[in-house]
Amino acid sequence: MTKGKLDWQMDEHQNGKAPLSLQNVHVSYATRRGKVQAVRNVTLDLHAGESLALIGESGSGKTTLGLAIVRLLPETAQISPGVILYRRDGREVDILKLDRNEMREFRWRDCAMVFQAALNAFNPVLKIWAQAWDTAKAHGWHDKEAVRRRLVELLEFVQLDPKRVIDAYPHELSGGMRQRVLLALSLLLNPQVLILDEPTTALDIITQRTIIKLLRKLKEDQGFTMIFISHDLAIAAELADRVATMYAGRIVELGASEDIFYRPRHPYTLGLIRAVPTVTGGFEQLFSIPGSPPDLIDLPSGCKFHPRCAFATDRCKLEEPELEEVGPGHTAACWHWRAVEEELQRNPLHRGVLSVLQAISFNAEEEAVS
Amino acid sequence: MSTSSTSAMAPESQGRIRSDVSTVKGLRRVADNFYVRRVAKALFTVWVVSTIIFFLIRLLPGNPIEQYIARLIETQGMDYENARMQAAALFAIDLDAPLWKQYLDYLLNLLRGNLGVSITSPGTTVTSIIARFLPWTIFSVGIGLILSFTVGILLGLMMAYRREGLLDHILTIFASVVSSIPNYLIGILLVVWLGVQWKVLPIAQMRGTLSPGVTPSFTFAFLYDALFHAFLPIVTYVLTTVGTWMLSMKGSTIGTLGEDFVTVARARGLKDWRITTAYVGRNAALPLFTQLTIAIGFVVGGSFLIETIFQYQGIGYVLSGAIAARDYPVMQGVFLIITMSVIFANLLADFLYGWLDPRIKVG
Repeated sequence: MTKGKLDWQMDEHQNGKAPLSLQNVHVSYATRRGKVQAVRNVTLDLHAGESLALIGESGSGKTTLGLAIVRLLPETAQISPGVILYRRDGREVDILKLDRNEMREFRWRDCAMVFQAALNAFNPVLKIWAQAWDTAKAHGWHDKEAVRRRLVELLEFVQLDPKRVIDAYPHELSGGMRQRVLLALSLLLNPQVLILDEPTTALDIITQRTIIKLLRKLKEDQGFTMIFISHDLAIAAELADRVATMYAGRIVELGASEDIFYRPRHPYTLGLIRAVPTVTGGFEQLFSIPGSPPDLIDLPSGCKFHPRCAFATDRCKLEEPELEEVGPGHTAACWHWRAVEEELQRNPLHRGVLSVLQAISFNAEEEAVS
Repeated sequence: MSTSSTSAMAPESQGRIRSDVSTVKGLRRVADNFYVRRVAKALFTVWVVSTIIFFLIRLLPGNPIEQYIARLIETQGMDYENARMQAAALFAIDLDAPLWKQYLDYLLNLLRGNLGVSITSPGTTVTSIIARFLPWTIFSVGIGLILSFTVGILLGLMMAYRREGLLDHILTIFASVVSSIPNYLIGILLVVWLGVQWKVLPIAQMRGTLSPGVTPSFTFAFLYDALFHAFLPIVTYVLTTVGTWMLSMKGSTIGTLGEDFVTVARARGLKDWRITTAYVGRNAALPLFTQLTIAIGFVVGGSFLIETIFQYQGIGYVLSGAIAARDYPVMQGVFLIITMSVIFANLLADFLYGWLDPRIKVG
């Protein structure tokens, strides 16, 4: 099991076969009031080496989808129908059919999830080293020294002082340090897929930058396959190759980062981009999507976005649109995506996209300096 | 240190000041030490309690000493002087001395372990009575406490994992019922059902702490006999307290199960057993350890009614006898032991805490 160097995943690009394929995935929660349809009909391929951002409001099903992949949803949740295929070393399994122990082994070794609010991610009574060793031991590692060497290596990678961190209790570390320790720990078993749920939320802006830089390094230098869950479009723009917009549990638009941010075709994505506050713009330019996310127990008819949509017509109230090709590798689920295109020609995105771009250029500058 | 020595000073005076300063610093470090401070506080509390006991007994109108003198005069026709002398001897104080001197003598006697002499069995010192009866209470209630805590924590953990299940419902009802029945009632019910109606246990033989002829020794026979006699008090103690442990642990575990680190531990692919013990169980039990140390403190005082019911000769049995016979020196001594055990259990709690929960900085 000893792996001296950080052994990244570049060699595992399996002839273009996606390491993770979600097919027609539904997730619902049983509640007293009825069935909450948190994720509906999600079909998605995660390509090797790509980073995919899931964006959307709270309650749009992003986190539920992430948790469904590692099957850590609460007991009241049900994943069905749906297939989640996972491929590694030429083998293919349906994650939803794994038994308890196979699932346990799959977690972290194949797919590690870095959680939101890492402040509480560690057992308060065990030292960082003990928790790393617990993790390695559970996956069949026996060589303490090898695990320690690897942990030291990873802690250095996330720019922490291993000597200080390794024998510290979680409460002795700051929030940003804990988030980085969790990131290091997520790489411990060399997983093929990394899911990051709001990796920078609840951190101050400086720490956010550090984490983003680390994630860029992972993505660009190591070609890690990642899924980001974020409501922060700037982060998505910086880190993602592809972006999926989620609304009311469905993917309503999916495309390359550039397409989504420069040529959005779904009114919801457009609304999200226009809602981004800008550094230079005043409040008058700020746009907000009217209304609030729908009740997931009692969903509106037709297109779930129609009650809040400026483009909505009678057709939207009756029929729910499927994802439709609106450009090369770019799909959107909207009857009126052409109207969105025309609207964008009349009123081009400047402020919103500008802020996103600013974030990117800021990062590039920073990179150039360091 | 560097600021205290200036170049104008002669070398030797500089050296002296240095060593003085370091002595002061060393002393301060000792005084600032958490353990030292905590022990000092405990000793201070013991002193306060013993002072209160002293003044209560002497300054209250109709205090036990005067009552005792009056009783001696009445019942034995003793004259006042003789009765007074006997009382002074019993309570180990000099009644003619001014109050401050009496108080000082009392404290000095305490330090020497001299708590006076029993009234009802003259010639027996209170210290020897305590030394004879206290171990039995510690033995029986101690075992009961450990059993009850362990069983309660394990059942509580199980209930939390299977909450809303049949097992949880049954155990929750059981826990609520047993913890709401007073211990003396459970004791009486055990005697009536097990001993009298169903005749499962030889109640009469189980009285006392040891069967006649058995002497304390490190043998299996002795241990068996001691447990045989302590059986009913232990069962009563476990039954009356286990429910509280179960319910506290259940609540605490449910809270811990909702913590992020438990979800992360699952995401890390840890084995269920490891998560249950080191991640859920250990964190859920933390707040219960405080309760445990408090319970240890009340071991001595809590044995009162149970020991009386089962005629188990521990410190509670002695106390109930002393109260019935108005044996004030014995009562005074037992009360002191009870308060001291509470104080030292709290001390233990403070010391254990830093070790159990690294977030609590000791020092």
